[in-house]
Amino acid sequence: MSSREYLLPLWLRLWHWTNAVLMIVLAVTGASLHFADPELKLVPFSLATTIHEIAGIALAVTYAFFVVANIVSGNWWQYVPKPPGVLHRCWVQTRYYMWGIFRGEPHPYPPTKEVNFNALQAVVYWTIMYVAVPVVILTGLVFFYPTWAPERMFGLDGLLPIAMLHYVAGAAVILFMVAHIYLGTMGVRPTSLFRMMITGWHEH
Amino acid sequence: MTIAGWARSLAMVLAFACAGVAARAQDAKGVVTDPAILEKNRKENAECYGCHSEAGYKNPPRADMDMVKLRALLHDPAKFDGSNHVGMNCKICHGQPYETYPHPAGLKQNLSPCSECHATKSLRVEKQFEDSVHAKNLKDAFTCQTCHDPHVYKVAQKIGDPRVIVAQDNQMCIDCHNSDLRYSKFSAQLSTQKVRPDLDTLHKWLPNARLHWQAARCIDCHTPVSKVKSLQTSHEILAKDKAEKNCVACHSQQSQLAARLYRYAATNAAADLGFTNPSYLGSAYVIGATRNPWLDWGIIGAFAATILGLFVHGAIRVVAAGLRGRRAS
Repeated sequence: MSSREYLLPLWLRLWHWTNAVLMIVLAVTGASLHFADPELKLVPFSLATTIHEIAGIALAVTYAFFVVANIVSGNWWQYVPKPPGVLHRCWVQTRYYMWGIFRGEPHPYPPTKEVNFNALQAVVYWTIMYVAVPVVILTGLVFFYPTWAPERMFGLDGLLPIAMLHYVAGAAVILFMVAHIYLGTMGVRPTSLFRMMITGWHEH
Repeated sequence: MTIAGWARSLAMVLAFACAGVAARAQDAKGVVTDPAILEKNRKENAECYGCHSEAGYKNPPRADMDMVKLRALLHDPAKFDGSNHVGMNCKICHGQPYETYPHPAGLKQNLSPCSECHATKSLRVEKQFEDSVHAKNLKDAFTCQTCHDPHVYKVAQKIGDPRVIVAQDNQMCIDCHNSDLRYSKFSAQLSTQKVRPDLDTLHKWLPNARLHWQAARCIDCHTPVSKVKSLQTSHEILAKDKAEKNCVACHSQQSQLAARLYRYAATNAAADLGFTNPSYLGSAYVIGATRNPWLDWGIIGAFAATILGLFVHGAIRVVAAGLRGRRAS
């Protein structure tokens, strides 16, 4: 019989879904700008620029809220992979995804109130939220204020390396999001984890 | 061409022919290269600059000069030396009788038209210009010099650096379109006077308009792509309702800018690094146009592999769960 535990506070759920919507909007408009072509039916360039800029600024504000709220609530600690045995626990988790799940084995490290994330989640979430997303936001802000960009870099226009970094880091975040949504189906039932992200209650 | 113009042209040709230097005095583009002629021109031009420059104005050689008139007739020798007409003698365009002061009246009417030297180009330019908004509104009041100051102007091919081309060419437009004084001077010649529209308001639809003005020329949107290959920069200036508003005309891999602003920049890029529109790399990052197909395919491949991998994983989960269920029952 399944049991329930309240794991996720309201602010975290609100941030998560705001972040998710903004990321999707930024991905669609960002792709429309980067792959702009008269032959492709994408979001019109001028409209995509406006939406991307507004959503980008909103993401920067949302991220600032995330960092402050994490510090104030102490939730930042959840993102820190805790030694010893981080690599071993990552391997156990990977093995579960690659093999154990097909055999109906139980989750090796189910979430608890104290430890929300398994080691693999902590490593990946930390990398995305504290490396990739800040890179996307900072390079995006340079795009917004191009005078911040150096005049020249590596013998090229200074904005070019910034733009490439923005593109690659943005793609990494969206690539993570695709996998993240799929992994969301790995609860007790395929919809359990999505429900948890709405209600805050985790089903064991 | 006036009789005086013909006479001047004839005199120029005869002067070069008689000296026997015509072959080595100019390069293929007609630029004076003979050191003796250059030195002669430099000395004679220095006499003109004796009055017609900032330095000459501050220390006029005579006390009886009309300083108000002179103020409007000053030129910068350094700018002239950086222009297309570097090395040329002032008198080639301005005529001969300047030795006495005051200069004889009506000399301005004797000024050589540009077509006197630039005959072939003038023919092609004129056809494009006739269709421009300037010709339609201002007719003969609008001449080559209205935009191209022959004492300063340098053609894009000789400048090469797109940022410098943009700064020079856009200055020609904003000299009138961002100046109420100069705009009203031309507007006064219209049947119904026009108040200068504000450039920021006109370009409100354009994201980062001011950034565009630093990186692209007004004419890159306000002229059609010329059908004449050798004259890709058209002189058919388009009014706002006909100007290019389709962003992907420049912001795509088939970017028009490559054949316009960046036409002469290709050789400036250090290396193309596999990018599309490599001539842009040295001076700007243009969204949609500056792309690296290798990187794009790498990222598209990563997404395709991830999505495919997840589908396969999901399918195995469903099948495995089904098998487990059957086994349990």
